[in-house]
Amino acid sequence: MRETIIALLPILLPVFMGTILLFLKRLKERKVILFYTGTGLLLTGVLAWNVILNAKDQQVTLFWLTEQIPVMLKPDVLGKVFLMVVTVVWICTGFFSFSYMKHEKNERRYYGFFLITFGILMGLGQSGNLVTMYAFFEFMTLAAFPLVIHNQSREAVMAGLKYLIYSFFGAYMALFGLFFLCRYADTITFTPGGTLNAELIADHGQMLLIIAGLMILGFSVKAGMFPLHAWLPAAHPVAPAPASAALSGIIVKGGVFAILRVIFYLFGADFLRGTWVQTVFLVLSLLTVFMGSMLAFGEDILKKRLAYSTVSQLSYILFGIALLEPTAVCGSLLHLMGHALIKSTLFLCAGAVICRSGFTRVSELRGIGKRMPVTIWCFTIASLGLIGIPPTSGFISKWYLATGALDSGIAVFQYAGPVILIISALLTAGYLLPVTLKGFFPGELQQEAGHDTWKKCEGDRLMLIPLVILTALSVLLGMFPNSMLNYIDGMLSGIM
Amino acid sequence: MWNGIIGNFGEAVAVALFVIGFANLLLQKNLIKKIIGLNFMDTGTYLFLAEKGYIQGRIAPIIVDGVQDTSLYINPIPSGLVLTGIVVSVSVTALMLSLTIRLYQRYHTLNMDEISTILKKEEN
Amino acid sequence: MEMLRNFPCFSLILSMGAAIVSSGLSGKLARRLNTVLLMIITLLSAGTLYLTFTTDTFYVYKMGRFSAPWGNEIRFGNLEAFMALFFCIVMLLSIWGGKKHLKKEISDFKENLYYVLLNLLLSSLLALIYTNDLFTAYVFVEINTIAACGLIMIRENGHTLEAATRYMLMSLIGSGLLLFGLCILYDITGHLLMSNIKEQVSILTETGEYQLPLTVAILFIGVGLAVKSALFPFHAWLPDAYGYSTVSSAAILSSLVSKGYIFLLIKVFYRVIGFEVIRQSEFINVLFIFGLTGMIFGSLSAIQENDIRRMIAFSSVAQIGYIYMGFGLGTEIGMVASVYHILSHAATKSMLFIAAVGLTDVSGQSKKFIDLTGAGYRNVAAGLTFTVGSLSMVGVPLFSGFISKILFAQACVGHAYKMLPTLICLAISTILNAIYFMKTVVRIYTPVKSEYASLPWKKDIGYGVVCILFIVMNVLLGMNSEPIVELIRSGIQMFG
Repeated sequence: MRETIIALLPILLPVFMGTILLFLKRLKERKVILFYTGTGLLLTGVLAWNVILNAKDQQVTLFWLTEQIPVMLKPDVLGKVFLMVVTVVWICTGFFSFSYMKHEKNERRYYGFFLITFGILMGLGQSGNLVTMYAFFEFMTLAAFPLVIHNQSREAVMAGLKYLIYSFFGAYMALFGLFFLCRYADTITFTPGGTLNAELIADHGQMLLIIAGLMILGFSVKAGMFPLHAWLPAAHPVAPAPASAALSGIIVKGGVFAILRVIFYLFGADFLRGTWVQTVFLVLSLLTVFMGSMLAFGEDILKKRLAYSTVSQLSYILFGIALLEPTAVCGSLLHLMGHALIKSTLFLCAGAVICRSGFTRVSELRGIGKRMPVTIWCFTIASLGLIGIPPTSGFISKWYLATGALDSGIAVFQYAGPVILIISALLTAGYLLPVTLKGFFPGELQQEAGHDTWKKCEGDRLMLIPLVILTALSVLLGMFPNSMLNYIDGMLSGIM
Repeated sequence: MWNGIIGNFGEAVAVALFVIGFANLLLQKNLIKKIIGLNFMDTGTYLFLAEKGYIQGRIAPIIVDGVQDTSLYINPIPSGLVLTGIVVSVSVTALMLSLTIRLYQRYHTLNMDEISTILKKEEN
Repeated sequence: MEMLRNFPCFSLILSMGAAIVSSGLSGKLARRLNTVLLMIITLLSAGTLYLTFTTDTFYVYKMGRFSAPWGNEIRFGNLEAFMALFFCIVMLLSIWGGKKHLKKEISDFKENLYYVLLNLLLSSLLALIYTNDLFTAYVFVEINTIAACGLIMIRENGHTLEAATRYMLMSLIGSGLLLFGLCILYDITGHLLMSNIKEQVSILTETGEYQLPLTVAILFIGVGLAVKSALFPFHAWLPDAYGYSTVSSAAILSSLVSKGYIFLLIKVFYRVIGFEVIRQSEFINVLFIFGLTGMIFGSLSAIQENDIRRMIAFSSVAQIGYIYMGFGLGTEIGMVASVYHILSHAATKSMLFIAAVGLTDVSGQSKKFIDLTGAGYRNVAAGLTFTVGSLSMVGVPLFSGFISKILFAQACVGHAYKMLPTLICLAISTILNAIYFMKTVVRIYTPVKSEYASLPWKKDIGYGVVCILFIVMNVLLGMNSEPIVELIRSGIQMFG
């Protein structure tokens, strides 16, 4: 009973508070809404940390969906890692929104869905079997939808629909797996090392590989892997900046998290190692790494550039997973955390720039560093982190990824992987650093017409504090990764 | 094959009637002709049933002179079914005819396709 | 307990009696009588279900004085009783939800006629569910058709008259085929009672006699009932009939009338022909193919539709395709899935119709999408209900649609050559569903300055309650499917 309450509270509280906020039509007072949302976010954060610190790794069955399929929660280490990332990023983004959303309409709805999504993410992290995870995954897609289409322009709605259709398509591909796994696995409860029943699958190896491939591909839609990544650059620029930060920092990680669950907790790494599924997965992820960087490099709209960067960076994580190698997976997890922090910082910085100066294109950002020094400093530090310059988190995770690739001994990929990672890192530098460079060193064009307002336009405290916290955390993660590594070490040995 | 058909002449006619009626109901454009087709089809079915219930050389299942020996009479159930069927088909025909009258009053045509076209025009 | 055995017979006689009495009453009294009748029959069916469920057997009730091979019988087990109960509830909710429209759309002196037709429809549905005699079934099929036709055309305008005519013509073709099939079956077996026919059929299959007439009979009965239940190529009448009739009629027609025929078909499969014989015949493959095409084409037509009611109607075509696809799998699990889908679709479709009318009410009675923009804010209950219905149709977990999809997919997994086409069609159909339902949901929640916003729209508490009941029913089906599936399974076993 105690476990049930601990696990359920962080899910139910924000969903409940968010729903109430949606229905409080009369509530027009902005301060009250903000206070309410802020309380909700912090309370959920506390409850989430309660799960992380106190919950035991045991199943909590809530009810039975059909006779074989229970809905259950099981906060294990991987889930807790996800919860940590979500809590930090979501709360920071939430507080950033308080300032950013000031001039937007329908704030009440935004915060309502923001809270609801928070609760659902808590559920996603704790879900104990495939059906539960699928359910929360779908709800996450739906709850985040109003965030994407917030300004309800035609463009936003179309992008939102694209996001929705892609996500449903992907989730449904993944659902196939459920039907088969019910039949060929001992259980669909997540178990480290996989649950496939060796006897039953004896003659159906190929078919199950196809299913595994479909599931991976299905969940990778959310993670923006190559053939089905198109929703990502469409949805990010139209959403309000904090929503894109949440989307890019967390929602897409939901896809990665689901893939981790599928590979290591359902099929088992051994089942996939050395098969064509692994090869396809490797090829697609490397392709995406490269392609995403290239596209980002050629993109002028800042938020779109960051979106392509997300596409590329997520595939780093996927590549690490695809190697099925403990070191690489460790790198993936670190990159998952690092990228969540960094990318939300970058998006929030972009948001601050858009909000304060109105510039959306990189080419317009000349001299912005003088006007918004703190923001651009955060942007710079985060950029360095993403590029992977020591001692930031990106360096550690990429190091692990490269070592893992070399260790894996998979022909071609063990060398191709690190090479592409390095090329992509250079490209990352190429598309992120110009913002800093132009921002701080505007050069001769400084006196050009149109730049007559050189006065400061730095964001207010509500904007800057979350930015600084996120940036600091990303640096800390890079400097002291050991505590994190120790935390996930036991899990890694369990699943391999 | 021919023996089969000649030996079951009644059934063959019944099936032919059914097919004619069915084709009319399906293919005719005129509503009245469709309804006639419907009646053909039903009649075919009833003839089929009646033929199936009839046994050569026996009489209608009406007890005369108190003779209750079943070997004298034909099978009464199909006759009962035919009666029920006729009731059903009469009511269905009546409903169809009344619908046809309504449609004719409104659109002055008996052709379903024309009615659909008029309706589409009305909408736009 | 002995008393409970009479309940099915009571409910039949009560509903027919009520139909006769209503014809002499005023509209208001007829409405009250109808409500009371439905409640009584709900209770009676619940009693019957209690009886069959606790004793776990089926019962045969002799109608009249003659026994087995000559007389007329009622036979009921778990599934029959549950269906009757469920149909009554759905009918009651549909009538309540559309009550206001009924008064507006039907002239006063016809109001009692409407309830006469409803009572007749109820009696014929109950008879289709309970009867054990094929010819009785035929007669009630005709009564059902006539009553349904009356329900369509009672709102007199060009569209409904045309739709009613088309409906009648299609139905007449169907019932002609059905009747002829029955005659052939009677001819080769010499019985009209379902159980007796089955004995003879099993003898015939053993001896190998009369195989051709038997196949023809199966074909005629099957195609006849498929035509009547609007399986894909025979659906031409459906959109107009559902789109333009008064809303309660549309809800009842889509959720109950077609399901009555389908239920009869299931009974024919199990109780008349025997499922083994059906499984080996080619007929189910035909149903399978038509079912699959229906799933796709119904959804495709729905996407092109610009009228919300017609869109929902086309979605019905797709859903009926699902049901026949389940038959076509030819397995017990497939059948269970189909029966579950009958329930889930009945609950969801009536809900969607009732919700759609709430939305059109606040949009100046226009059913065009463009006018519905923002309707979800103007009528909150309807918007919410429509959203829940859409989510259920798309197959989001926790709603009934998800369970039926899981059941279908589980049924087809492991099937030698039907697995892949089924899964692919399920996937495509889900995506298409998502496209048009989500499009609508987004549309009704896109805020605009609408001219309709100022229209006086009185909050209708009755309508709101109906909406909530519909949502509760859907969620109950979705979250609590285990006992229901168990009930269906045991019910199907009692069928045979």
